Amino acid sequence: MTAQAAIRPLGPTRRLARRHAWTAAVVAFFAVLLAWSASQTRNFGAFELQTLLASTLPLAYLAMAQSVVVIGGGIDLSVGSMMVLVNCLSARLMEGTDLGGSLLVAAGCLALAAALGALTGLVITVSKVPDIIVTLATSFVWGGVALFILPTPGGGTSEGFSALVLGSGSAWWPALLCLLAPLLLVWAPLRRSRAGIAIYALGSSRDAAYLSGVDPLRTKVVAYAVAGLLAGLAGLATTAFTVGGSPQSTIAMNATLNSVAAIVLGGVALSGGVGGLIGPVFAVWCLYLIPNIMLGLGVDPSYGEVVKGVVVVLVVLAGGLLRARRNRAP
Amino acid sequence: MVALRSVDLAVAPGEIHGLVGANGAGKSTLVKVLSGVTRPDAGVVEVDGQARRFRSPAHARAAGLAPVFQDPAFAPDLTVAENLRLTGTVPAAFRRRLAQLELDGVELGEQAGALPLPLLRMLDLARVLAHDPALLLLDEITAALPADYADRVFVVIRQARDEGRSVLFISHRLLEVQEICDRVTVLRDGRNVDTLVSADAKEQRIVAAMLGERAALAVTEPRQVAHASQAVAGEPALEVRGLSDGHRVKDVSLTLARGEVLAITGLEGQGQDELFDILAGDRPAASGEVVAGGRRLAARHPHEAIRHGLTLVPSDRWQALLPQRSVRENLAIANYNAPGRWGWINADRERRQVAEAIARLSIDTRAQAQAKRLSGGNQQKVAIGRWLVGGFSTLLCFDPTRGIDVGTKHQIYDLFRELAAAGKSVLMFTSELREVPLACDRVLVLYGGRIVAELPAAEADEATLLSSAHGLADALTEAG
Repeated sequence: MTAQAAIRPLGPTRRLARRHAWTAAVVAFFAVLLAWSASQTRNFGAFELQTLLASTLPLAYLAMAQSVVVIGGGIDLSVGSMMVLVNCLSARLMEGTDLGGSLLVAAGCLALAAALGALTGLVITVSKVPDIIVTLATSFVWGGVALFILPTPGGGTSEGFSALVLGSGSAWWPALLCLLAPLLLVWAPLRRSRAGIAIYALGSSRDAAYLSGVDPLRTKVVAYAVAGLLAGLAGLATTAFTVGGSPQSTIAMNATLNSVAAIVLGGVALSGGVGGLIGPVFAVWCLYLIPNIMLGLGVDPSYGEVVKGVVVVLVVLAGGLLRARRNRAP
Repeated sequence: MVALRSVDLAVAPGEIHGLVGANGAGKSTLVKVLSGVTRPDAGVVEVDGQARRFRSPAHARAAGLAPVFQDPAFAPDLTVAENLRLTGTVPAAFRRRLAQLELDGVELGEQAGALPLPLLRMLDLARVLAHDPALLLLDEITAALPADYADRVFVVIRQARDEGRSVLFISHRLLEVQEICDRVTVLRDGRNVDTLVSADAKEQRIVAAMLGERAALAVTEPRQVAHASQAVAGEPALEVRGLSDGHRVKDVSLTLARGEVLAITGLEGQGQDELFDILAGDRPAASGEVVAGGRRLAARHPHEAIRHGLTLVPSDRWQALLPQRSVRENLAIANYNAPGRWGWINADRERRQVAEAIARLSIDTRAQAQAKRLSGGNQQKVAIGRWLVGGFSTLLCFDPTRGIDVGTKHQIYDLFRELAAAGKSVLMFTSELREVPLACDRVLVLYGGRIVAELPAAEADEATLLSSAHGLADALTEAG
């Protein structure tokens, strides 16, 4: 091997394609599923789009939350519980308020969620206990507190708040705007800042990151705070969608596991350092459409879950094989 | 673990200062302390006359001390440009340093993990230089670097010196140390023992300083082991012909007779890990062949090598043992490859065999409920004893006496001699040159992935071995 041959670079287009190949594939997969789903409905339009966006909004936020943590080399089993906690807290406090009051409550809830996330990151780094253990423990704590705040399903929100988040009638763009807001206002600036690069670096190689001057404590706290914020948004979206709160722990568990499935399908490597936030959001939409299409085909909806699982396994398997082949012949 | 006892070192401005020492002398630990990765228990680091205590690598770098390690500090999933952002490196300064290293074609948008390791190490050097450090710490930067890259590194180091910077240059290659360093400090057992001006330091003098009293020790220590070297004429138990892995191991051939204990020695990273992994079936060979007991073996899995009687005791005992399980289970586990009829395990036979192994190796069984509670020496005995129970024809032992006490070491040497007398053979890698004449019949020296010297153990004194392990040609001809 000569030195000159070793540094022959890939073309910029090929490099770009390679970096974003997975996201592109998920988007294409979504496009196919959407077309299929649309063909099943007589006149697919704004209403169907609004349903898709509104009902997947909580899980899309959660997948984004999970992505940030996993990219940073951790995993957060408490995102679902955090969502339920914020859902219960906001539903209880928003009941009987007007739009202004609801927004005030929402801001408070988000601040709390981000603070609790930051605390989780602090505990993980200081105690050196693995992420999965600490967040498993905090998931029980958040779930318990949620039951304390709202022992039975109930609470409510202002009509204006629901309309603001999800749109009224068949207006589909408010939900899309709400989804894009944290991407554009929080993630995009972070991704370009040193703190955001540090999250990727920490997940990619802890040693290299440390030697490059990354502060592991600060980075972990930032990652978990952003995840807490996004999980809080998921809670608020749930409140808007269901016009109330439900403290059941099964909701939290389901949501957490679905967030993991979505990030895996969306191209975030569980080993850290790889992926983004767009892919997982499209993955959430794919996972939503699969059971719907099955329903449209007249198949028992239970099979939908089976197919969902099989799709995740197959996609991850194919991705792994492609990666292995690329590594063998670089 | 104490790796550094007491080191005094002064590097002048505008000086290239060499740091040499045998394996485990504390060179890398010193660099870690100086670069803020590890904190010292005692002592001071002074920069420009001011005492400093570094909290982190970033802190040390801000004070002007910048390291380049063997593993480049690049996050593999980020692009080169993003890695530069992490360290706050100005791309223009980086580009300028790259030009000095004659690396103009580097695309900053390339993912760091996709670049070859030697290139990445050059980029690491360029990045460190872009910060205009007062002291450059280079830990074995030339190890496994292509020759053209190494030459450019030397050019740049000299330029840095001419700019008034200091360089601490660590290398196992004494020739290059002599060539480019102004002064050389020799470390031994975590202490600095000598500082020489390179121009008048002969290789032999450096080697002598690296060995120190240990050379004297080797002479005075009684030779407990009676050699059976005349019985070596037996048929070959293991033959290796032209073995390469396409990377670290280059055209290695050796023959191990039945009843022979053969040692391989060498500095760190000369291909010994890869060679033993190939023989144990844990890594595929690119070319060459391995013949075990007369049968050609292309093991794709350790399981196949074990079936051919080639068993490995790795250097890392935690890799060999099941730390939470009992001594008995750890010893008997190789037996489970071939259980009795219908998959039954004969508990009586197992108990008998385990008891035999424990008695033969005099394993201290007071803490036998969990292997992790044994002392290091006893753990090593269990790792070896497993193959006494499980059966083998050639035992591969990687640094079998690393970090264990003298008494146990001698028990292990005695065991190897007994095994050899019983017609088994042993191939061991050792970084402890002193033990070669105590346990072995013959010794091979590995350098740069090739076998560069072969000596009967009786003639293998430490100075000769160390010289040839450093690739010194005149030492080789002397020995030959």
